[in-house]
Amino acid sequence: MSSKRHSILPPVSSGPKPPVHFSSSITIADSAVLTGTHPIAIHSESVVHPRARLDSLAGRLTVGRRCVVHERATLGAIGTSGRITEAAVTLGDYVVVEVGAAIEAGETVIGEGTVVGVGARVGAGAVIGKHCTLTPHTEIAAGEVVPDFTVVFSNGMRRTDKRGVAELKNKGLARQIDVLRRMIPSNPAKFA
Amino acid sequence: MAPPTNKAVAAPRWSHTPTTPLLLWLGVSLPLVAWDTGYMLMRPHTMPGGSLHWPLWVPYALYGEVDHLYGFKQWHLKNSFAAAQSLMNLVESLMYLGYLALWYSYGKPAAPGGRKAVGGRVGAIAALLGFSAAVMTVSKTVLYYSSTIARPSDANSPTSTEPDEDDRTFDPRAPRSNFSLYPLEYLLYCEDCHQIRCPRCVTEEIVTYYCPNCLFEVPSSNLKSEGNRCFQCPICIGPLAVTSVETKPDPGLLAAPDSASPHSGPYALTCSYCNWSSTEVGIKFEKPNSIHAQLAKLRNGGETRLTAKEQKERRKDPSYRPQAAAQGELGEAEALDLETQFANLKLLYQKQLADPNAADNGLAALGDLGFSSPTSLSRIMSIYTGGSLQDKKPKSRVGAMREALEANEGLQLADLDESAAIAQLQDEGLDGTASTSQLADQPPNIGEVHLHGSDRFISELRPIPYLLRTKRSKRCPVCRHIISKPEAKVQTTRFRIRLVAGSYIPSIAIRPLSLSSGSSASGAAVPGALLEPLKPTHFLLTFKNPIFETIKVTLGAPAKTPGRFASKVTVLCPDFEIDANTDVWDEALKEGGERDRERERRRRKGEEGSGGGSNNNHNQLEVGKIWERGRNWVSIVVEVVPASLTVEHGEGPLREDEDVLEIPMFVRVEWEAETGGEDVGTAPSKDKEAREKRELAYWCVLGLGRIRQ
Ligand SMILES: [Zn+2]
Ligand SMILES: [Zn+2]
Ligand SMILES: [Zn+2]
Ligand SMILES: [Zn+2]
Repeated sequence: MSSKRHSILPPVSSGPKPPVHFSSSITIADSAVLTGTHPIAIHSESVVHPRARLDSLAGRLTVGRRCVVHERATLGAIGTSGRITEAAVTLGDYVVVEVGAAIEAGETVIGEGTVVGVGARVGAGAVIGKHCTLTPHTEIAAGEVVPDFTVVFSNGMRRTDKRGVAELKNKGLARQIDVLRRMIPSNPAKFA
Repeated sequence: MAPPTNKAVAAPRWSHTPTTPLLLWLGVSLPLVAWDTGYMLMRPHTMPGGSLHWPLWVPYALYGEVDHLYGFKQWHLKNSFAAAQSLMNLVESLMYLGYLALWYSYGKPAAPGGRKAVGGRVGAIAALLGFSAAVMTVSKTVLYYSSTIARPSDANSPTSTEPDEDDRTFDPRAPRSNFSLYPLEYLLYCEDCHQIRCPRCVTEEIVTYYCPNCLFEVPSSNLKSEGNRCFQCPICIGPLAVTSVETKPDPGLLAAPDSASPHSGPYALTCSYCNWSSTEVGIKFEKPNSIHAQLAKLRNGGETRLTAKEQKERRKDPSYRPQAAAQGELGEAEALDLETQFANLKLLYQKQLADPNAADNGLAALGDLGFSSPTSLSRIMSIYTGGSLQDKKPKSRVGAMREALEANEGLQLADLDESAAIAQLQDEGLDGTASTSQLADQPPNIGEVHLHGSDRFISELRPIPYLLRTKRSKRCPVCRHIISKPEAKVQTTRFRIRLVAGSYIPSIAIRPLSLSSGSSASGAAVPGALLEPLKPTHFLLTFKNPIFETIKVTLGAPAKTPGRFASKVTVLCPDFEIDANTDVWDEALKEGGERDRERERRRRKGEEGSGGGSNNNHNQLEVGKIWERGRNWVSIVVEVVPASLTVEHGEGPLREDEDVLEIPMFVRVEWEAETGGEDVGTAPSKDKEAREKRELAYWCVLGLGRIRQ
């Protein structure tokens, strides 16, 4: 047994290198993992944290504008319910996928301004509306449709966010991205 | 029996003779009293089963069943009343006997054939004796009757059960045992009373109030006036943060983020977890501080609420009434909040109480029945106490209480129109309603609307002020000494004083003991394994002495555990000594260490010789010998034969945890300690080295494991 701590992730070069369409203004960490055979598109000003995993094996991945994909978040995982479709996962604009969250493949759509909480799991084919909040460790079943402005608790309870601060949140996210861009060394060339 | 007087003594011709009824009475009562007193004073021998019971006191067997003062019940309760009154009987009888004896021996027949009479000084003494005895008889009789009246029924009186329990084997399964059993770590110890103190028998004092969210220490003087600074989300109980509500969001998705604008009102409480905001219930604050005070004045929806005082002042204002009437506000039902309604009602009733002549039969129907009248109460009382039934007719109904008639007297009409709530329910569904825990968490908000149609929906829940927490010091209830006192600062978890029982009474560690050889017993050597029913199993109990004195431990355990399934328990060595908890280094460096070690070795050897405690002699268990001994610990062996859990036909099924084998054990610890340690002032007597014997005794319960079913 070696005393050296092993990385959680397998060596990066294991899978095929997917075709990517990056906007010039994105921030993607060197140690992010992009695998699969279908194209991965990331639109302007989005941030992909180190060790985030984008897997296009089951279909096309689209990340909207000003999205943040945190560490060890997984987009396009086959998971328990994932299946192969043309568009695996589509993130709208201003979507935050928190640490360790998993969004399974299969025409899954996350609406604009939605926050997928820490460790949450979104099943294949689920359609999350705009400006929703999936609190940490929430599970959304495959194929479920969550209306706009819904707050989903990890115990399954739901409520509607009536603050009407969507614009404000977007603005806050823009500021956060501004900071992240300065803090995360970006290396989009590596994935090209 | 004339009372003797001074005149009687002075007159030599005076004489006294007992009357016939008196002699008859004494003839009957004296033997009876002697019989009764003999029974009472010679208990328990005279009780059923006693050596003197037969033949003289046989009837008392029956009587004791009826009058518990005479039976076993009160005898077991050590009720001393019966015996004490028997002693008084004895005195009284002796006085009667003295009276009779004086009369008989000194009396001379006044006339031939007549009854004897005593005169002079002797006569006076006899009369005095007789009179005193008679007074005793009367007072005793009165005492009996009054005590019979005043005695609570035997079944319910606490004295009839509690001392009983002290004598009984402690039953860990009894429902009440849950409240008297604590892990050793929970127990405290009073050094002055030398007693264990459990959480139930300490008195607590609050040292500090603090907010669990921000750890702010709230001065006790500000508790009521200022209220909490932190609030919880009513939906998800997450902490709420004060944020400024910016009214003008910037459109334009990809617009460059503008520089942080200076925060300015209005402010709202928001939950970062579930995105609840107090703007949802229409509450916004002008200032970011003193939220509590601002919240108290705001109703849901943002309307301000008048305080009771303000409302009263408004009412007094003559210009208000017509104005309000014009607005139709005062017309039919003015909405009062709870406090205002209560204040109005209270005022109304107090006014009526103060002025009983205010005849105003507002509610004539109730007035007829007289429920609401203050005089009716006294009338009812007179029925029960005096029985003057002819007084049933009320003399006057002047004092009947009038009920509220207007809003300013506290009248609040019920709002029975629930169509809005029904519509909302249809609209939002069950998800829109608040759960019981959410409702229970809701604080009693000042200025709450009246109960009719109040919070049932999530959309009406208000922020919950955090419940403040306290740090408490604990005192011994007997001697008032502090036995636990935390550091007053909220951030520290240390204690200034903490007398935990674990540093005064021996701890007991339980370990299953496997005897490698020997066919007789092999136990659950693996901790946590199930116990085989009907198979002798051995457990090693290690008692560790925490104090700096040698202690003597005496154990008592019932031979069979209480409960439906009685397991057999044998404590092989119920009586042993544990050496003092001296410092390890002290022990090693002690000058007399050589001698001590020698003694130690001798002692161990002695046990070895008789086959108790050596390592190579493991498989021999001997009654009365300890298993192993260390610096401040002793191990003994307990043999257990777990009961079989087969349920007889017709009995109930196995209850929850009935398969757990627990032994109640009575532990008595004796040691000698230096006196005067804590009370120097009281005893500065000759020898400072005086040592006093101390004793501590308590029940404990040892859980050994579950029995295989
Ligand atoms: Zn107690
Ligand atoms: Zn606080
Ligand atoms: Zn919340
Ligand atoms: Zn005490």
